[in-house]
Amino acid sequence: MRIDLKMAWRNIWRNRRRSILTILAIAFACLLLVFMLSFQFGSYADMIRFSLRIHTGHLQIKAEGYQKDKNIRKVVSDPGAVAEILRAQPRVSDFTFRSNAFSLLSSKNRTYGVMISGIDPVREARVTTIKNVIRRGKYLTAGDNNQTIIGKLLAENLKAGVGDELVLLGQARDGSVAASMLTVTGIFSSGEADMDRSLAFITLDTFNRLFFMRGAVHEVVALCQTLNDVKPAQAAVQRAVDGIDSRYPLRVWNWEELIPGLLQGIKIDFFSGIIFYLIMVIVVAFSILNTFLMAVFERTREFGVMLALGVTHGRLTRLLLLESTFLCIVGMAVGITAGALVTLYFQQRGIHISGAADILKSYGLPEVLRPRLSWVTLISGPAVVFVVTFLTALYPALRARLLKPAEAMHAV
Amino acid sequence: MKRIFLSILCLLFLAALPAGATEPTARSIIGDALDQMRGQTSESVNTMTIHRPDWERVMTIKGYTLGREYSIFWVLSPPKDEGNGTLKRENEMWTYNPKVNRVIKLPPSMMAQSWMGSDFSNDDLAKSDTIVEDYDHNLTETKTVDGKKVYVIESPAKPRAPVIWGKLRFEIREDNVLLKEEFFDEDGQLVKTMDTLEIKTMGGRVLPTTWKIYKADVDDEYTLLVFDEVKFNLDLPADMFTRSALKNPPR
Repeated sequence: MRIDLKMAWRNIWRNRRRSILTILAIAFACLLLVFMLSFQFGSYADMIRFSLRIHTGHLQIKAEGYQKDKNIRKVVSDPGAVAEILRAQPRVSDFTFRSNAFSLLSSKNRTYGVMISGIDPVREARVTTIKNVIRRGKYLTAGDNNQTIIGKLLAENLKAGVGDELVLLGQARDGSVAASMLTVTGIFSSGEADMDRSLAFITLDTFNRLFFMRGAVHEVVALCQTLNDVKPAQAAVQRAVDGIDSRYPLRVWNWEELIPGLLQGIKIDFFSGIIFYLIMVIVVAFSILNTFLMAVFERTREFGVMLALGVTHGRLTRLLLLESTFLCIVGMAVGITAGALVTLYFQQRGIHISGAADILKSYGLPEVLRPRLSWVTLISGPAVVFVVTFLTALYPALRARLLKPAEAMHAV
Repeated sequence: MKRIFLSILCLLFLAALPAGATEPTARSIIGDALDQMRGQTSESVNTMTIHRPDWERVMTIKGYTLGREYSIFWVLSPPKDEGNGTLKRENEMWTYNPKVNRVIKLPPSMMAQSWMGSDFSNDDLAKSDTIVEDYDHNLTETKTVDGKKVYVIESPAKPRAPVIWGKLRFEIREDNVLLKEEFFDEDGQLVKTMDTLEIKTMGGRVLPTTWKIYKADVDDEYTLLVFDEVKFNLDLPADMFTRSALKNPPR
């Protein structure tokens, strides 16, 4: 066996240029896979983080059933008690309160049905990016002041601008009519069309008065320290809020349950990425197959001599497989190292997309994209390359079994 | 060839015959029942009770109607909502709130929403006058209750009618009193039911005076509508059913 290893190793370096080219092909495939996978996972993490910061947050606590029918009477009646629990939970970094009611919003000539959302201006600005996406006018100021900020598309539909008065008409928690004049203080554009078309924010204090909420709210929106804290925090907060005595039991929702579309979109993108990688691996596999086949054809005479000297067919096959394994391991080592270095470099420095920075920034997205190296992104790509290369090398290796010593020795 | 032609003619003739010479058609039964409750014009005071498991709300409403197409209502009590009004002209609806002193037309997206938080939708009010036209009406059963004939009519929506229900089912007594109305969705599932709980003579007519409306899939939730006063065929001013009139609730 030792002599086989030695022979395989020496055989590789007999045709230095061809071997180096093969190693480079394998190395390049590994490098690309490591970098692309890291980049993809990195941008998913950013995408999730930043989409959640627009409105949803990581966790939401609502009364049982509210998520389904948005019934104004299904309230979190004691938001103070929930706040207490969230403050004591180390995985939760911040939280805010919201109340919502489907209402009519009417400008001089136009009327639309919209979701009116009462927010605490100070807390909301800490939890979501709403304050940063005000395009015209100003953000809400705290207090009961009949101010409203509306989405850009809604403003266009209503033909309303900053300073205009809108009439709000809805139904309060006690069933009475909630009506008020509101002054548009700002117009936001979050980039989420649904939100920009059908959402108007007022202060929680104004909402409380108009909709007769008596201090109750509809949702408590919480942020966790990291995305990995979401699930454990959800379980812990759920246990704690189960202890709150309330007419409607409270339920804690995580972001995956609140916006299932986000994760599905990522999955679709991930699988289309996988198809691209597979095509790449197949291309590399063919170039390797070519190299190995050439090697076997070129060395027919040599194999004939070996067989004539008494080397078994099995040993010859093993020798060829050893050679391809060596090539592959060297290529992978080079590729993984280079891939890790390139990825780490861009992870440190970030990738600036020229021209797009302003647009990204205006939607609260990061201006710099960063790949994120992990064990998964480092190993999974090269592992696939290894398996595919080995399978490819089987064909020429098995072909060598068909050689007959006398004929092979006469081959040119 | 001739025989086939004849038999087709025969079939056509049979199909065109009314079910029974003395029986009224399903369409006219429904039209008569609706007219019975409205007259040419009407003035009424209703008490509406919205009941929920954890909550109940009672409102008094004053309303006027003209024909099947026009109606106007105002809330009289509770004081908090006094003066809130609704105007219906054909398929359109407007709402008025005295606090902001504005008349707002309800957009189509709001028509499926509940009216004043009750189990009536805005659509129930807006589309009530086109029931006769928007649905096909078939008399499926005639039964006798307390010595009076009761017609059971099933009314699937016409294929292109702009309505939200798939089918309606009525029970109407021979003296034009609506006893029950059921609302089905497109899949034929019962969505909500309106029962007449009390029948009285009021304003010179026999009327269903207490209605209970409840959804099929929830318990202990209903809206009770009681007619306290009804007068028919009054002389109403011509501008009674306008947006400017809506801004002047009765005292």
